[in-house]
Amino acid sequence: MTEITLAVIKPHVLRNTYALQQIKSLIEQNFRVLDQKEVHITKDLSDRFYAEHQGKFFYHRLTSFMNSGPCYALILQSEGSIQKWRRLMGPTKVFSAVYTEPQCIRALYGLSDTRNACHGSDSEASALREIGILFPEFDVLATADRKVKKET
Amino acid sequence: MLSTVRVGAWTTPRLTRTYTAKAKRSVLSQDTTKIKDYTPKVSDPHAHRVYVWGFQETGALGLQTSVKKAQERYTEMVHHPTRLQFSNNNEITDVAAGYGFTAYAVQRSDGETLFGSGLNTDSQLGFQVKGNPKDPANLDVIIYPTAIRLPRENGETDEDMQVRSMAAGRAHLVVVTRNGTVFTLGNNSYGQCGRSIIDDERYSKSALIHRIAQADICGEKDEIVSVECGQDHTMFLTKLGRVYTCGWGADGQTGQGNYHTAGQITLIGGDIEKERIVRLTSSSDCVLALNERGDVFGWGNSEYGQLDDSEHAQTQINTPRALQLTKGIGLIKDVAAGGSFCMALNDQGLVYTWGYGILGFGPFVEQTSKPQHLLPPLFGRNDFSNATTVVSIGCGVFHMGAVNSDGDLFMWGKNRFGHLGLGHKKDQFFPFKAAINGKVTKVAYGVDHTIALCKPYF
Repeated sequence: MTEITLAVIKPHVLRNTYALQQIKSLIEQNFRVLDQKEVHITKDLSDRFYAEHQGKFFYHRLTSFMNSGPCYALILQSEGSIQKWRRLMGPTKVFSAVYTEPQCIRALYGLSDTRNACHGSDSEASALREIGILFPEFDVLATADRKVKKET
Repeated sequence: MLSTVRVGAWTTPRLTRTYTAKAKRSVLSQDTTKIKDYTPKVSDPHAHRVYVWGFQETGALGLQTSVKKAQERYTEMVHHPTRLQFSNNNEITDVAAGYGFTAYAVQRSDGETLFGSGLNTDSQLGFQVKGNPKDPANLDVIIYPTAIRLPRENGETDEDMQVRSMAAGRAHLVVVTRNGTVFTLGNNSYGQCGRSIIDDERYSKSALIHRIAQADICGEKDEIVSVECGQDHTMFLTKLGRVYTCGWGADGQTGQGNYHTAGQITLIGGDIEKERIVRLTSSSDCVLALNERGDVFGWGNSEYGQLDDSEHAQTQINTPRALQLTKGIGLIKDVAAGGSFCMALNDQGLVYTWGYGILGFGPFVEQTSKPQHLLPPLFGRNDFSNATTVVSIGCGVFHMGAVNSDGDLFMWGKNRFGHLGLGHKKDQFFPFKAAINGKVTKVAYGVDHTIALCKPYF
């Protein structure tokens, strides 16, 4: 059973050509990329995307940051891809990640707790929900079918 | 007559002393003009020399001259302070470090006053292309310092265009020239360039250098003395001690009393309204300000208890306030604000640190809201140099530094891509002297690189 997950590379990393190249090569080594594109996460889009964070103190900061430039979104597939991608990313808070996991993506290319380099879905349900928002044209069921075929 | 012969007899033996043929060759034929006159080697005539270290792949260090050569060697990071070759041929007067790029203020006979190297994906180093002018290749990364042409108006001279102050953020550069004109380059998605935000503006390959007259910011009677940038906001300090800000305010770092993004440069008040501010500092989203009496003020991000540790403390302070937690550590002479920590230097020369991270007190990462001071022997004071004391402090997002009266630079904190300059990649848990061949006069702390402006010892 191969899981799919959503990875979003945040605006400030897109401006750093070296960091983007490193993260992309890390992704290619670890996952099969089903689809990828540059997206601009506007206020409307992030209101849906970050619905669970609404009302938290950092919500405005997060959404205005995501809106500050184009992001790069990828659909990743591999064995246990959700956990694998989250492990590569490292802890959410960059200021502590630089000490606890100095080799993770966020410790290397994150700049602050908000400018934390990338996003990854935290569960299968949210992966499907988030892919639906950023890749409305992507047919999740088609992949599911493929999976079933492979298994049988 | 006889006497003259006598005299001749006395003198001639000396004059006619005979030499062997070999001696004639080696002694008499010696050409004194070939004897070299030794003059001690004098260090190069420039008053300033520049040392750089840290992450190199972005080109921010400006050390490489050839992309091909760089690929042949391991050059991802430079963890020793290295002399910038560009500073050998140019009189560099000031430096500024952004995220992955560097700006140099230069005095040259050809009239160029500003140079830059490093990331240029948001045109923070101006419009830089190479190759065929009809179909130019855009330069996203500039590996060697390149001139940034500031647009001139009404016969502005080279002298007018000399840099008075400059600062760099995550992807923008702000320069104040000697005649008081402000130039902003690069990303303006939060209004950090001091102009209105344009949706979907393309910053790559942009030739736009925004120009603001000093009088439009602070009026005719005042003048801008310095500029300071956080990651995505900009602050101007004037002669009368007033502070004007623009840019990202989601943590309150613009101090405008709200959390909006602001493309309009605005005078800020709060507790600093009647104060004469003499120093502003920010490397990320937390801001510290110092008035002429040595009191500290702060605003912006305080998630790690940097600005306030009271029970119901806000984590995002949007109005400047006088800090309570620095009361009782004496008169403050210098301040520095990092990503998750703050520093202060008092009139006794003691360096205080607080917040979250490697604060310099030993082998652990800690969080405290109580400023504690580091011991003077860590900064070069000993029995033989009793008067040695710290004269200035500074920090990047993850690391701290201090310069003492001997011109030595001490660094500690997270060692991101070797940017502490200590010759290794490990984190440094207490201040340690960086090996620099000169007296450090100014340090520009970037996110993953550092630049030191130095004077020669002699």
